[in-house]
Amino acid sequence: MPTPEQLQTIHPPTWCPGCGNHSMWKALRQAISEMGWASNEFSMVWGIGCHGNGADFTLTQGMHALHGRALPPATALAMTRPDLHVIAEVGDGDCYGLGMGHFIHTLRRNPNMTIIAHDNQVYGLTTGQASPTTEHLMPSVSTPGGVLEQPANPIGLALAENATFVARGFAGDVEHLVGLYKQAFEHKGLALVDVLQPCVTWNKLNTAAWFRDRIYKLEETDWDASNRSAAFDLSMAAFREMTCTPDECRIPIGVIYRQEGVPTYEDGITAASTPGWRRASVPRDVSALVDALS
Amino acid sequence: MEQRAPYGNEVRIRIGGPAGFGIKAAGATLARVFARAGYRTFDLTEYPSLIKGGHNTIHLRVSEDEIFSHVTPTDILVALDAATIPLHLDELTDGGAIVFDPHDIAADAIELGDLAGRVCLVPVPLTDIVREVGGVRIMRNITALGAVLGHMGFPLEGLVDSLQRQFAHKDPSVAEQNVAAATRGFESAAESHCEFPYKLAPRTGEPTRILTDGNTATAIGALAGGLGFYAAYPMTPASTVLHYLAAHAEREGVVVKHTEDEIAAINMCIGAAFGGTRSMCATSGGGFSLMVEALGFAGVSETAIVVGLFTRPGPATGLPTWTEQSDLRFAIHAAQGEFPRVILAPGDQAEAFEFAWKALNIADQLQTPVILLGDTYLCENTQTVEPFDGAAVTIDRGAFQAEGSVTDYQRYAHSPTGVSLRAIPGVIGAEQLVNSYEHDEHGFGSPGEVAATRINQNAKRLTKMRLAASLVPAPREYGPREAELSFIVFGSTKMPVREAMKWLEADGISANMLQITTVWPFPAQEVFEFIERSKRTVVVEGNATGQLEGIIREFCMREPGHRINRFDGRPFSPEQIYETAHAIAGQPVPQRVSPEATGGDA
Ligand SMILES: Cc1ncc(C[n+]2csc(CCOP(=O)(O)OP(=O)(O)O)c2C)c(N)n1
Ligand code: SF4
Repeated sequence: MPTPEQLQTIHPPTWCPGCGNHSMWKALRQAISEMGWASNEFSMVWGIGCHGNGADFTLTQGMHALHGRALPPATALAMTRPDLHVIAEVGDGDCYGLGMGHFIHTLRRNPNMTIIAHDNQVYGLTTGQASPTTEHLMPSVSTPGGVLEQPANPIGLALAENATFVARGFAGDVEHLVGLYKQAFEHKGLALVDVLQPCVTWNKLNTAAWFRDRIYKLEETDWDASNRSAAFDLSMAAFREMTCTPDECRIPIGVIYRQEGVPTYEDGITAASTPGWRRASVPRDVSALVDALS
Repeated sequence: MEQRAPYGNEVRIRIGGPAGFGIKAAGATLARVFARAGYRTFDLTEYPSLIKGGHNTIHLRVSEDEIFSHVTPTDILVALDAATIPLHLDELTDGGAIVFDPHDIAADAIELGDLAGRVCLVPVPLTDIVREVGGVRIMRNITALGAVLGHMGFPLEGLVDSLQRQFAHKDPSVAEQNVAAATRGFESAAESHCEFPYKLAPRTGEPTRILTDGNTATAIGALAGGLGFYAAYPMTPASTVLHYLAAHAEREGVVVKHTEDEIAAINMCIGAAFGGTRSMCATSGGGFSLMVEALGFAGVSETAIVVGLFTRPGPATGLPTWTEQSDLRFAIHAAQGEFPRVILAPGDQAEAFEFAWKALNIADQLQTPVILLGDTYLCENTQTVEPFDGAAVTIDRGAFQAEGSVTDYQRYAHSPTGVSLRAIPGVIGAEQLVNSYEHDEHGFGSPGEVAATRINQNAKRLTKMRLAASLVPAPREYGPREAELSFIVFGSTKMPVREAMKWLEADGISANMLQITTVWPFPAQEVFEFIERSKRTVVVEGNATGQLEGIIREFCMREPGHRINRFDGRPFSPEQIYETAHAIAGQPVPQRVSPEATGGDA
C-alpha cells in the first residue's frame, strides 16, 4: 500500500501558491494511504480544470478525461471493474457546468464510487470566469455586471436525487478532509464530497479567511446524518446564506447525509459482479442466438 | 407458370396500412414461413416517424434463387386500409392481386384504371373474421397473412406453426385465436375466383438459413467477439442494437447501459475499455455529432472502442426513419486534430456480423477507435443468410504488458507499429495516466506542451495507420475480372448493385463491382488498380455530393467515369441501377422490366 509520498509523481504540483488544491491533494494521498489500498486496488478519473491537473501529480492507475466528462467513464469503470475502488476528481465548472447532466444522472444511479468536487466557485484554469456555484451578483471576467443566476446547489441536488452519501469539506482543514474522504471511500454506493476550495487567484470573495469565519463542523453538533429532510433543509439554508456576514450565518462542513445499505447500480446487474475483461478471452458461443433466428 | 426474367421464380408481397396495424410483425412472420419452407427472402420496411397512423409498408421478396436486395414490383398487395391501394397500384404486376377488407372499401369503389382486368381483387372480410374468432383488431394482419397463402395456394401449416411458436409464452387462447383468424383468412381467399399465376410450393432439401436484419447481426457479431459493455441513447436506426443487447445482457453477461445522452454513452465506453472490457456504442448522425469530442479522446488516449454510426438522411434530425450514406466524410473527419481511426462499412447482413467482431479485434490491436459505418437500409431490413459462423470468430486483444514484469510502465511507450503495451488498472506496478491531453510516454500531460513530445506522440499514433492497413478487411470484388461496367460502392449499396449485376448479366452486359469494405484507411492502391483495368467505372453512393467519388479523386488521382446518387431517403433499387447502367453501357433497357423513375445521372 502506497505512502502519501509514493502517490506522488516526478511532476511537482503547478497550482498557484496558496491554492486549496494543494491541501486537497495532501488529504487525498493521506486518506488513500490510510485506507491501506494497494496501488492496483483503486483507480482515479479526473475532469479538466486546475483540479484535473492533479492527474499529472498523482501516481496511480488513472485517466484524465474530458472537461465535464469524468463521471461517465468513472461510472463505467465501477460497473465493469468491481475489483477496483473508483474515485472521480471533478471541478465545479467541469461537473456542475458542462457535466451537470452526468452529475444528476450519476446521482440517480448510485454506482459504487466517490466523487470529490473541487468547488472553488470559479473556472480557474480558463482564467476566472463565473462557474455554476459562483455567488449571485459576484462579478467575473465573463460576468462583469455580476452573475445573474442563482448558484447551483450541489448538496441540495445530490439530496434531491437520492445520493446516499453527501458531505462537504473545506480545503483549509486537511485533517477533517482526510476523515471525510475515508468515510466516503468506505461507503458502499455513490459518495459526494463537495470541497470548498479557495482559488487565491480568481475568487477574491470566497477566500480561506472568509470560509474560516463561517464554517463549523457538524461532528461537533448533535447533527443526525440519517435525517434526509433535515439534511435537505440544511443544504438550502447553507446555500442561501452564503453572502451573509459571519455573524448572520455559518457554513456546515462534515457528513450532511449518509444512508448505508442502499443497493448500488451494480447490485442490479449480474454482469457487473465480474471484471468485464474476463469475458473477452475466448469467443462467446452465440449458437443459441443464431439458432433463434431460423 | 410464367417465368418473369430477370426475376426468376419468386413472389413479391407488399403489406401496407397505418402504423400500429402490425405491419412489420406480419411481414416478419411471413418471411419466416417462407424461409422455413426453403426460400430466400428479403424484406424492406418503410415507415414515417409516427407511432400511430401514417403510411407503413413492408415489402417481402420470396425467391427460389439467390437474391441480394429488395425489388419494387408487387404481385400481392395486402391493403390493411383503403388508402394503401392507390399508393401502390402502379407497382402491381400482371396477374397480381389486391387483398383487401370490404369493410374498408367496396370492390367496385377500387379504381384500377389501366390495370382493370389485369389484376385480381381478393376481398377478405378481415374485420368480421377477427370479430368472429373473438380476437382483437390487430389480428387483421394475421388474418391477411392467411389470405395471402390461400390466394397463392401455399399450404397454411407453416404459418400455423409459426403462430404457435410465436405465442407459446402467452395464454393459449392467443395462439388459438390467431390460428383461427389465419385459417379463416386462408379459406376466404382460396374461395376467390382468380387464379394466382406464380406458384410457389414448399421446398425440401434446402439448407437451413437464418433471417436477420443488420442490427441483430451486428449485435450477435459483437457478442461473439466478447463484448462486455454496451452503452447507447436511442436513435433510429441504431436503437434495435440496444434493444437486442439489453434483452440478452443478463444471459450473455454484458453490461448494457441506456445512458442520459450519447456523450455519456461514448465516454462510458472509454471508461469501460480503459478497464479492459470490450466496449461498444452505436447511434446515428445526430448522436454521433455529440460523440465527436470523445471520439478524439479515444484517439489521443489510445483507447480501444467500437462506435456504430448508422446513418440516415441529415442534417440535424433529417428524415429519421429513412436511409442515406451522407455521413462518410463526417465519419472520416469527425473530431479535432489528427489521430488514427478505422472505418469498416459492412455491405450486407452477413458482413454486419463479421465486421462487428472484427471491429472489436482491430480496436484492441490498434488501441484506437473503430467506427462501424452502416445505414438504415442495412440496419433495419431483413434477409435470409447462411447461419453466422461462430467458429470463424477469433479474439485478438492486441499487445498487453505481461503481468508481474512491470517496472517503470510507460502506457505510451514508442514502438515500431505505434502500438504500446497496454496494462489495465489492477495490474500490479502499472501506474499510468491515460490522458485526453497530449502527453509523454508515461501519460503525463505537463511535458506534453513540449514540442518534441507532441511531435513524437502524434507521430507514434499516426504510425498505427500502417498497421491498420494490414489488419482491416480488403476491398471485395464481385463479378468477372474484365467487364463492360465496373461499379464502385461502399456499405449497403452493395446489395442492390449485386442484384442489378445479375440482371445485367442476363442481358449480356458484363458487370463487376469493387466493394470498399474498409473506407478508412482508404484502400487507394486497390481502387486505383480497379479503375485502371475498368472500361467504365460507375460510383454508386447514397448521397448528393459524391463523397466517395471525391475521395477516389483525392487518393487515386483518377476520375471515376459515371455516378449514380440517391438522396431522397429511399434505398437504391436494383431497377434504378439496372436502368442507369443500361444507359451507361449504351443499350436500351429491355421492356420486360419497368424501372423506377429516380435520379440516376449517367
Ligand atoms: C468542451 C470544453 N469546453 C471548454 C473547455 C475549456 N476549459 C478547460 S478547464 C475549464 C473550466 C474549469 O473550471 P473548473 O471545473 O471549475 O475547474 P478549476 O480550474 O476551477 O479547478 C474550461 C471551461 C474544455 N477543455 N472543453
Ligand atoms: S487558478 Fe485558482 S484554482 Fe487554479 S491553481 Fe490557481 S488558485 Fe488554484
